[in-house]
Amino acid sequence: MRRNPVFAVLGVALLVGAGWGVSRYLSHGQWLAVLAVAWLAVLFLAWPRRQKRTGPASIESVAKLGLVLTSVFAILALQLARIQAWEQERIVTRIARDEETGEVAANPRLINEDLRIDRGRILARDGSVIAETVIDDGLAHRRYPDPATAYVAGYFSPLLYGKFGLEATYDAELRGEAEVSAWTRWQDILLHRPPRGLDLWLTLDSSLQRYAHELLGDRTGAVVLIDVETGAIVALASNPHFDPEALVTTTAEERDAAAAYWQSLLDDSDRPLLLRATQGLYTPGSTFKTVVAAAAIDAGIATPDEVYRDDGLLDVEGHVIIEANRPDDTIEMWSLRDALAFSLNVVFAQVGLELGANLLWHYAEQFGFGQEIPFDLPVARGQVASSKEFLESAPAIADTGFGQGQLLATPLQMAMVAAAIANDGAMMRPYLVERVVTRDGETRSETRPRVWRQVVSEETAREVRDMMIHAVTNGYAYGAAIDGLVVGGKTGTAETGDGEPHAWFIGFVGDPEPRYAVAVVLEHGGTGLSGPLAIAREMLAAAMAQRA
Amino acid sequence: MSATRPALPRFRWRELQLVVLATAAVLAGLVSLATVNRGALVTALWQDIQASALVAGLFLAASLGFAIVRYRGDQTILPLVATLAGIGLVFIERLQPDLAALDPDLAGLASRHRIYLAAGMVILWLAAAFVPLDWLQRFKYTALLASLALLAVTFVFGTEINGARLWLTIGPLQMQPSEVVKLTLVIFLAAYLAEKRDLIGASWRFGPLRLPPIPYLAPMVVMWAASLLVLVILNDLGTALLFFGIFLAMLYAASGRPVYVLTGLAAFAVASWLAYALFDRIGIRVQNWLDPWWDPLDAGYQPMQAEYALASGGILGTGLGLGQPWRIPEVQTDFIFAAIGEELGLLGTCAVLALYLALVGRGLIIALRTRDAFLRLLATGLAATVGIQAAIIVGGVIRVIPLTGITLPFISYGGSSLLTNCLLAGLLLNISATTERGQPAGRRR
Repeated sequence: MRRNPVFAVLGVALLVGAGWGVSRYLSHGQWLAVLAVAWLAVLFLAWPRRQKRTGPASIESVAKLGLVLTSVFAILALQLARIQAWEQERIVTRIARDEETGEVAANPRLINEDLRIDRGRILARDGSVIAETVIDDGLAHRRYPDPATAYVAGYFSPLLYGKFGLEATYDAELRGEAEVSAWTRWQDILLHRPPRGLDLWLTLDSSLQRYAHELLGDRTGAVVLIDVETGAIVALASNPHFDPEALVTTTAEERDAAAAYWQSLLDDSDRPLLLRATQGLYTPGSTFKTVVAAAAIDAGIATPDEVYRDDGLLDVEGHVIIEANRPDDTIEMWSLRDALAFSLNVVFAQVGLELGANLLWHYAEQFGFGQEIPFDLPVARGQVASSKEFLESAPAIADTGFGQGQLLATPLQMAMVAAAIANDGAMMRPYLVERVVTRDGETRSETRPRVWRQVVSEETAREVRDMMIHAVTNGYAYGAAIDGLVVGGKTGTAETGDGEPHAWFIGFVGDPEPRYAVAVVLEHGGTGLSGPLAIAREMLAAAMAQRA
Repeated sequence: MSATRPALPRFRWRELQLVVLATAAVLAGLVSLATVNRGALVTALWQDIQASALVAGLFLAASLGFAIVRYRGDQTILPLVATLAGIGLVFIERLQPDLAALDPDLAGLASRHRIYLAAGMVILWLAAAFVPLDWLQRFKYTALLASLALLAVTFVFGTEINGARLWLTIGPLQMQPSEVVKLTLVIFLAAYLAEKRDLIGASWRFGPLRLPPIPYLAPMVVMWAASLLVLVILNDLGTALLFFGIFLAMLYAASGRPVYVLTGLAAFAVASWLAYALFDRIGIRVQNWLDPWWDPLDAGYQPMQAEYALASGGILGTGLGLGQPWRIPEVQTDFIFAAIGEELGLLGTCAVLALYLALVGRGLIIALRTRDAFLRLLATGLAATVGIQAAIIVGGVIRVIPLTGITLPFISYGGSSLLTNCLLAGLLLNISATTERGQPAGRRR
């Protein structure tokens, strides 16, 4: 058999390339097997075929030994190429997190750089400092002066817990890597010049953020205030929250204190590390009725004037829904508009059933349920139901119709729902970072508002918007009204199974063009009429006052 | 040709040129290191590199010495050794300040290494010029007994470092007997195989079966098993693997029969599986080999740091003194290859591999040029030793195989390793001098 060297080399290269693509890691079993096979193949291909005399200590056997050693070194070089060239970037930035302690193992070279680098600032839109770096004796200390805004930046804990939040998402910008050329960087290294990071200007308003915390007090919950037209996040409050300054570990002395604080955060049953505004998943309750109403109108199943029967009870295949929300028990016929204003469960159960599983699923997804929401911070993914099978039963559809069932949403998403309805059905991509700016004030990049998805038609959105305004002027959300401004809203109570239900409010304010939308949730906050509604009203009023 | 008296060899220009190159490279490394450490070129630079430069100058002296005495040996072994040892010297110098900051005990690292290297050059020179090779053949059983005794003594009186008992402390000196035994093993195998080569290469008929000549292999297998057993007891798996590799390589070279190698590999596979099943620490080793990230802060820390270092180097490396290889525990011995990878990059690591390959190739060529069976097997064994040892430790560091703690020949810090490897190179030169007439063989034929 003659061996064609071209095909042979090609075959081995193909084998190695395939292994390279398939195996995820440089000493993954599959990859090592590929190396072994490649080695044997090379050896087989290079092995002299013609049988000479292979006597004792012959020239032949010594030469073959040399061949074996050469092939071994070739395999070593191949592995080196994988580590030092092909996967170089991935290995250098790889991070491992200890599941138990949360401690992070990262490349000490990057950590060391973090300890020296003049990291960029994070600033609120009013210019107040959320995070800044103070260089002291060559060491960079990260400071977060305002506890109400600090945790929005995430945390920066180079020696222990790594980075999280904006500190992680915008790490390259904050380190200044995004700015300089390779040449400047090389000079910086040679001359021991710490590079300077870029500043992040946020859409967050520090006074509104502080006000949100004032209103929340020590209650557990979240407030999200969003600019309807752009999707810019103006306030993003979560309570309880953590203090990132206590997690900063620049020196070894700070380690123990930071570790103790971290442990206390982990032990806290209120889970302060969870940013409820973006990572808290709650049953949306009656606030979901806005989505169902929009779906029914958009699908042509109902109009706001469509009349439904609600006599206090609805039997769905043996699953009895009891109506507790009618303001007048003598009235049995309700328009969809009034049903939203008075949050009638029996009516929305019927609307849900009329929509059916497929349309309900479709519109919920349109409004972001179960979707990955693109944002500058990690966002938990909500759901319509844990699987589509759940909606196969009529009682489940009915429950989902009025916001119970297996629905889950984050406060951010519900604020986006209110904003989309106020914004003619265009759901904007939410963002927190407005601009990336050099120390000299030169803007490097700017976020342009972008439509994430058109959830329903413009007409549908206007009709639902008017229905939400109707809920404030004539319905249970009347407490949200603000003199001289147009306010729309929807209350919600989410049964949780244990203890008091979670209380919701979503709404928007306009003059009369809608400007801001809000979502407020209070855990175990009772009914939605007092707490969340009052907080939302104050937030909307303050936002409009500041705008004027 | 053999009838005429050989002409006096010509001046060793080739070796001298190559050694000048190697010395220049070492000097350039030391200067760039001093520049980085000081942040600027200053007049006191010379003081920084003085002592190491003297050692580098020793390479030149060795070469000139050979030239003056009209030495007949090979002209590329010394430059290759000088380059490898020079790289080692530069990296030990580079690591010393950082390591001393971590552990004051390591403060004398570089100065000790310079002394070892200087002594190594002297040993190389002596071994090349004065060791009568036929003695080695004559005293093969003495060599065998001496090596076994040395291992036994280490087992009884040895000092345990990092869980392995491989150090023998005599007064102020510490030595690693396994490094010495590596050489005596090669000498014994070469002598024994040369004597019995015809018997071993032949088949041994037993009725209808054609079997290997078991009676003649038995003493070697016993010897090999004994040394392996001692090493497993001493908990030095790297050296055990090295001995095993040397054994197979020489057996193959002597017999030309792959069946021995395959049988040996099968036995090795069974032994490794047994070891994996029986010893916990080997389980951890395997775990660390396949995925050190399973325990990033403790057991997997060292291989993970090596991975970071190698990857940080990229293709061109950070440059001498500009990386942070001192973050890898034991970087000066087991992991020095990762330090080279970080600061000299893929180009540097491949260059080092190429240097080893060149040294091995040169050794095998020397083997091929001698007519004497013992010398041919000896040279083959010595060359294979360097190649196998380098491959085992490099393969461990870059995780092609599990990590075992042996030194990178000529580069790692450590007196025993450096001295025995210089002795090894000296013996190779000595063998080459028995055939070479100071000129490349090609020109003669």
